Amino acid sequence: MTRKQKRLSVIVGGLAFLAAATSLTFYALGQKASYFYMPADLTTASVQPGQRIRLGGLVEKGTIQRGQGATVAFSVTDTHKSVKVTYTGILPDLFREEQGVITEGTFGTDGVFVADSVLAKHDERYMPKEVADGLKAKGVWQESKSE
Amino acid sequence: MVETGHFALVLAFALSLVQTVVPLFGARLNNQRLMAVGGPVAVTGFALTALSFAALASAYASSDFSLATVWENSHSLQPLIYKITGTWGNHEGSMLLWVLILTFFGALVAAFGSNLPATLRANVLAVQGAIGATFFLFILATSNPFIRLNPPPIEGRDLNPILQDLGLAIHPPLLYLGYVGFSICFSFSVAALIEGRIDASWARWVRPWTLVAWMFLTGGIAMGSYWAYYELGWGGFWFWDPVENASFMPWLAGTALLHSAIVMEKRSALKIWTLLLAILTFSLSLLGTFLVRSGVLTSVHAFATDPTRGVFILCILTLFIGGSLALFALRASKLTAGGLFHPISREGALVLNNLFLTTATATVLVGTLYPLAVEAFSADKISVGAPFFNLTFAPLMVPLLVMVPFGPLLAWKRGDVFGVAQRLMVAFAAALLATLVTALFIDGASVLAALGVGLAVWLILGALTDLAVKAGLGNAAAPIMVRRLVGLPRSVFGTAFAHLGLGLTVLGIVGTLCFGTEKILSMHAGEIVEISGRTVRFVGLYPAQGPNYSEDRGRFELIGVSGSPIGEISSAKRFYPVRQMTTTESGIKTIGLSQLYLSLGDEGKDGSVVVRLWWKPLVTLIWGGGLVMMAGAAMSLMDRRLRVGAPSRRRKQAVAPAGLP
Amino acid sequence: MLFWVIAAILTLGASLAVLLPLAGASKGAPSSGDHDLEVYRDQLAELDRDAARGLIGPAEAAEARAEIARRILRLGNADPAGETSGRSASVTARLVATVAVLAVPLVSWGLYSQIGSPDLPSQPLSDRLAKNPADSSVDELVARAEAHLAANPSDGRGWDVLAPVYLRMQRFADAAAAYRNAIRLDGDSAVRQAGLGEAIAGAAGGIVSADAQDAFEAALKLDPANAKASFYLAMALAQEGRGKEAAAAWQAMLGTLPPDSPWRGAVEQALAKSGGPEVASGAAAKGPDAADVDAASSMSPQDTEAMINTMVAGLDDKLRQNPRDPEGWMRLVRSYVVLGKTDQARDALGRAIAVFGADSDEARKFTAFAASLGLTATE
Repeated sequence: MTRKQKRLSVIVGGLAFLAAATSLTFYALGQKASYFYMPADLTTASVQPGQRIRLGGLVEKGTIQRGQGATVAFSVTDTHKSVKVTYTGILPDLFREEQGVITEGTFGTDGVFVADSVLAKHDERYMPKEVADGLKAKGVWQESKSE
Repeated sequence: MVETGHFALVLAFALSLVQTVVPLFGARLNNQRLMAVGGPVAVTGFALTALSFAALASAYASSDFSLATVWENSHSLQPLIYKITGTWGNHEGSMLLWVLILTFFGALVAAFGSNLPATLRANVLAVQGAIGATFFLFILATSNPFIRLNPPPIEGRDLNPILQDLGLAIHPPLLYLGYVGFSICFSFSVAALIEGRIDASWARWVRPWTLVAWMFLTGGIAMGSYWAYYELGWGGFWFWDPVENASFMPWLAGTALLHSAIVMEKRSALKIWTLLLAILTFSLSLLGTFLVRSGVLTSVHAFATDPTRGVFILCILTLFIGGSLALFALRASKLTAGGLFHPISREGALVLNNLFLTTATATVLVGTLYPLAVEAFSADKISVGAPFFNLTFAPLMVPLLVMVPFGPLLAWKRGDVFGVAQRLMVAFAAALLATLVTALFIDGASVLAALGVGLAVWLILGALTDLAVKAGLGNAAAPIMVRRLVGLPRSVFGTAFAHLGLGLTVLGIVGTLCFGTEKILSMHAGEIVEISGRTVRFVGLYPAQGPNYSEDRGRFELIGVSGSPIGEISSAKRFYPVRQMTTTESGIKTIGLSQLYLSLGDEGKDGSVVVRLWWKPLVTLIWGGGLVMMAGAAMSLMDRRLRVGAPSRRRKQAVAPAGLP
Repeated sequence: MLFWVIAAILTLGASLAVLLPLAGASKGAPSSGDHDLEVYRDQLAELDRDAARGLIGPAEAAEARAEIARRILRLGNADPAGETSGRSASVTARLVATVAVLAVPLVSWGLYSQIGSPDLPSQPLSDRLAKNPADSSVDELVARAEAHLAANPSDGRGWDVLAPVYLRMQRFADAAAAYRNAIRLDGDSAVRQAGLGEAIAGAAGGIVSADAQDAFEAALKLDPANAKASFYLAMALAQEGRGKEAAAAWQAMLGTLPPDSPWRGAVEQALAKSGGPEVASGAAAKGPDAADVDAASSMSPQDTEAMINTMVAGLDDKLRQNPRDPEGWMRLVRSYVVLGKTDQARDALGRAIAVFGADSDEARKFTAFAASLGLTATE
């Protein structure tokens, strides 16, 4: 190979590598990014049982039930609709009634959301950002105008 | 003395303006006096910033609630150590720490840069001054820590309880030392672009600074990961959280920079690429600061409704990233490109390393920014988490890791892959053996897990092979070998240790992910549980009182083979009344390199407690590997050849006595 | 004064850092080409050392040496050293120097005069607490007591003194903890148990919860004539919707209370309200000694009012940050009504309803609660 051909093959190889990496990245974005829903969104969105999503809202008052061992059932609500959720594990410290929460998992065929992670991660307003934004969009929660 | 600190901050801002403008003009006009201003001003600016920071820290230590930030982030009952670390446990204080480190590094360049060409030194200090000036302005305009309250409240609102922890107290300074360390590389690059030539001493300056920054960033990331592991009570060590990615991207780019700087120093090749990489690395550091500090991660909309800080940082970002890249586009063609080399050579291997690392950086960048973009331009909210990164990041990393042992053994300019492969035969055989043993003899090992163990062994032994070969293993007698090993340049040890640390980290990750076990159950006092062959007895819950919290401490005993307790573990639920917050303190018992990790859940009505237990094999290696990597960087730094940025003054006079007027 | 002296010294030092190099003698510096040459010589020396040590093969060493030599040769073609500065350049330089020297004091003093608070001294907490008690505010006295108790947590009498103060300051959680400590350390008493009950109820926004009832019952067991406990137990009945039983209990109290008891007014008021459609849960749940306005006798009326206003403002602030707190909202609305700030009360009510949505349970609760205080929402 001449020097020119060599350089060309290096460039072609590099570009092919980058193309492969780019397509893998965008394929993964399409496949692995999980969408966020509030309970009321679920009526319009078609979520298949088994499809991984994140469900957010407020923990409905009076719905927390501790079952066998470490399994907990509760409802997540956006004040319009609510969804039953079950979770096995330790709930985060900030998990409380009427506080914002994000659960991640899949719907079972019986319509109960089986969460494998529960986040009550909060900003200073004690509200996960997606939940706060969602509630705001629904006109349920208003940010007080602070001066 | 609070107001003295405030005034010193303002004065430091004024000096940073002078530092930006005067040396720059000096370099343009080739005026020695103007250029000479840079040094003393940089040093004085650092002294003033340090005074300002000390004033703030003492206000925190003495609970001076007449400062708004102290009131918001401190409490008189906090232990003194957390009062002091609370100085940077909040937005305002951490930004002050940021500029403190920036001015410190600027002062170091001023103090030790006397052997640099005057114009280069002046331009570097000017760019440093410009970064400092914008951040000083940012602090004074939007995040002033010296805002006063009159009359002062009697009690503060307490530091966020999860930040009241030693791990998180040292995490931000380490991280900032890393982030800001790259600013020096950036300043040198931009200075080179301004001058239109790459000085021969450029690489010699950039490489140690990259090493310093990389070392601290490695430590910062490892510390942050360990903190999340034990403090959040979930037992995870890496979440692919945007905040983590924000520090990981500069690390990846910085690792690439570290390697390309070697090529540049040794072979004068890849000059322009290294320069671009230095700019990109610091840009990613700025982006990391922006992501964490602007509130954009909390919510794109929150950012849009209260934009002062965010927009300010966005402007800084645009100014420095856009400006430096534009300068690069204009001036890069003026720079002389470096030499050529054969694809199969040390240089070639390092180029490949750069290709993989920068691509991996880009992947993480896309994964981190994509949800923000989607949220900003549509109503959808998505999250990109571990599944995405496992699919994209891992395929990029695995081939890179496989190639790591080859790199240091290849010769410069023209290498011999087969020769290197022969030398690596032992490491390869051992890795193969490890894979087979894992697959055959360890229960529950998947093929991937076995391959992971093999990869880790390959990396570790590859690093050791590098040392053995360079010491002349096989073709010299033992005493000679030892003498040669001792005589090896420290940077060779640095490389070997960094790669060894990488292997250890990989081993820790594989061990924890593939062989760890987990149990969740509700336990009564006296009950016994077994996990991975270890027996744990729940002794009971005991209330206790801390300085600014109350807690329910769950005590557990590790039961030995004989049936008697051989160790105690305790996990607690803490309640901080000031913030009305509960935190979980996990209980960790280190056994060899592995850890038994348990955390308390809620108390049931019948007096039972939900307990989550993990057996995490080899987990300490994850962070131990990080420490070994840092040690490697430190060894490289101690290499005398690296420490000398350029010929010393004394030698300079001997070589070139004609000090031209 | 001292501050200005320090500021002046700092400014002087900073200005000197600019001025001295400008005034210094102009040293010549070697051109950049010379500098590169030294670097390359250094590299050659290093190469020789490496070759001597056997780190690099002779062939590679020769090649590297040739390359460094090539670089040195290339240097010769590089552009000549920097051009000499002409007259116009020196004018510019002088201008830049002057501006720079002037900028330091002008920018710093100008900016500081805008944003600084030079007259405010530092106020470390320990200094503030070390002041003469007569000059201290109630807050500071409380802080001093807290510091004392943090150091001597087993001082039961201290907790006993502090608990009712907390109650008056509406720091209910702290009050409950203090009462518990007092009971633990100094033993049970009807007053302490009743105080504990009131603190628990106060923390719940006036709702007499099961825990609070337990405490009140314990108090009655120790002293059947404890008016506070009887009053709140009746309130609990009323809150459960057992209005008739509550009214009967209050009636019975009126029969036994001494004529000059401060509880008479409260009981009569409660009785009057219990006739209404819904019993005000929170409003009447304040006994007379918890009527927050009637705070510590040691305080002047202005102080008292200032203290209450700060407390209410603090609560308001907290709710802006953490709005999903129904009890908090009720407390806020009530506080404004008690302070006679009807407009603010109405505003708070409106915000509370907005947080939970107009048709939520909470909103209905708020409206009913406000109505019981004689307050109507604007809509």
